[in-house]
Amino acid sequence: MSVAVELNALTKRFGDFVAVDGISLSVPRGEVFGFLGPNGSGKTTTIRMLTGALAPDGGSAWVLGEDIATHADRVRPRIGYMSQKFSLFEDLTVSENLTFYAGVYALSDAEYADRSAYVMEMADLTGRDRELTGNLSTGLKQRLALGAATMHEPDLLFLDEPTSGVDPVARRRFWDLLYELAERGVTLFVTTHYMEEASNCSRLAFMYRGRVIADGTPRGIQAETGRRLGLATTPSMEDVFVSLVTEQRT
Amino acid sequence: MRAAGIRIGAIVRKEFRHLWRDRRLLGIVLLLPIMQLLLFSYAISFDVKHIPTLVVDQDRTAASRAYVSAYAASGFFDVVGQDSQTSAVDTVFARGDASVAVVVPAGFGQRVAQDLTPQVAVLVDGSDPNAARIGAAYATALNASLSQKATVTWTTREGYDVARSGFLEPRMRTWYNPDRNSSIFLIPGLIVAIIAIVTVQQTAVTLVRERDLGTREQMLVSPLRGWELMVGKLLPWTLLAFADIAVIVVLGQVVFGLPIRGSLWFLTVAAAVFVFCSLGMGLIISAVAPSIEVANIVGLLGSFLPGFLLSGLAFPLASVPWLLRAISYLFPARYMVTISRGVFLKGAGWAELWPQLALLSAYAVIAVALAVLLAKRRERV
Repeated sequence: MSVAVELNALTKRFGDFVAVDGISLSVPRGEVFGFLGPNGSGKTTTIRMLTGALAPDGGSAWVLGEDIATHADRVRPRIGYMSQKFSLFEDLTVSENLTFYAGVYALSDAEYADRSAYVMEMADLTGRDRELTGNLSTGLKQRLALGAATMHEPDLLFLDEPTSGVDPVARRRFWDLLYELAERGVTLFVTTHYMEEASNCSRLAFMYRGRVIADGTPRGIQAETGRRLGLATTPSMEDVFVSLVTEQRT
Repeated sequence: MRAAGIRIGAIVRKEFRHLWRDRRLLGIVLLLPIMQLLLFSYAISFDVKHIPTLVVDQDRTAASRAYVSAYAASGFFDVVGQDSQTSAVDTVFARGDASVAVVVPAGFGQRVAQDLTPQVAVLVDGSDPNAARIGAAYATALNASLSQKATVTWTTREGYDVARSGFLEPRMRTWYNPDRNSSIFLIPGLIVAIIAIVTVQQTAVTLVRERDLGTREQMLVSPLRGWELMVGKLLPWTLLAFADIAVIVVLGQVVFGLPIRGSLWFLTVAAAVFVFCSLGMGLIISAVAPSIEVANIVGLLGSFLPGFLLSGLAFPLASVPWLLRAISYLFPARYMVTISRGVFLKGAGWAELWPQLALLSAYAVIAVALAVLLAKRRERV
């Protein structure tokens, strides 16, 4: 199986502060990869380097087989990015937002017609294409943002805290959409600080203070932590995270 | 290249949509030039005619009445009151009823009859320096012409031939604007100020807003290039600036009789370069400003101050304090005002105005390059 993301001692400093401290990771294609950690642990900085928005200070990052430091332009048309800000123009209508992002990826009219119909249905927005984006509920905005980020059918989609500020029901529905994408073969790279979302992923990495402190499958990490702590039952993700962080501090 | 065209087109269309949704901004962009034009041409007039004038005639002879009537006859002075006491002048000036007072002392007529030098006093209200200066100049000219007439009458009566005396007689003519109509003088400058306001302000805010929305980040990870975004952002405002110029020129011609004596082609090229200067300035502000509020205020200062005060639009730059005059060289507006007036009023073109155009071009290149550089540095922290 080929590799979607390969990090080797990737480092980023802001002045004296080391935001990302030499992390190494490998994400196979087709995974739903969960990138977990508290706020300020370096998740967003890592994603910004992977999308080519930020230049690393050390190490290397290969995305879809290309070195992002030298060939970001080859990678960009094949990746998608959705941030917690949703990046939608609230004074534009639903379809105008989609038209804009389709234009940014230089889609043809035929591709646009095909993709926008799919996105509208996926986001549950059919018939509301002329509505102002600012008037939509947060849950709908979130799905529209996902649609806008996937208009160009990326092979790899980065999602930075996509579910923050959304109610639990909408969050559940959103994960269903992510699974649909994963079934179509899209690799997902999701950051979150909701620990219960971790078990939605097929692979995980825990970030803490710029370092990866654990990675593997959710069950594997849970089992290993349980063994180390000598527990009879499998610990919850929440417990796993707390014990990992405590170990780091001592 | 085709893909770049599609991407730039997407930005341009989006920018027009933002403008279309923001009706207040749309109103400003479309109506501002017309409002400014009317305001500057009707409300703010630098013409000084019909100066309200108080006459204090203490002589009351035929000679004094003839002298005083020359003021009213000139068209520059309107006699609004008569009084016999000099003390009345203070009251009338204080109330603002008159800004010039002519005092003819008793004995004026007698001295004229005896061929002695008669004396009169012309008092000017200096609290409005512009009107005072012009009022004083008119009064001086009027008196000079009256005393010249008196000399001619005297010499003729005495049997001399004035024509052989080597008498100096200056003939004054005002070129390019013979009626000294201030709107003709203001409109070419106003075009410059309006371009600055429409473009600097908008581009100053545009990138900051995208950064706040997160849409800049979204575009940063897309195939869209930095220069494509810049071009896409600048094109709509260039078009709008030219639409505003067209409105002012047409209105100026139709309503105010603004002449176009020089090459419109040269003016168009210069205006395009000036638009790039302004957009560059706006983008620099956008790249540096920490928030939309700051961008707005700096954009406002960066367009209004240089546009109106440091461009020579309203006040001759020769008469502003040296510090402001020095600062004015740093802004492109003053060069553009010179070009605009030169083309409209004086029929100037490449041959006369190339130094200004060269300065503007250098400014445009530096401003846009600096803007791109600053934006890049800001984004790749």
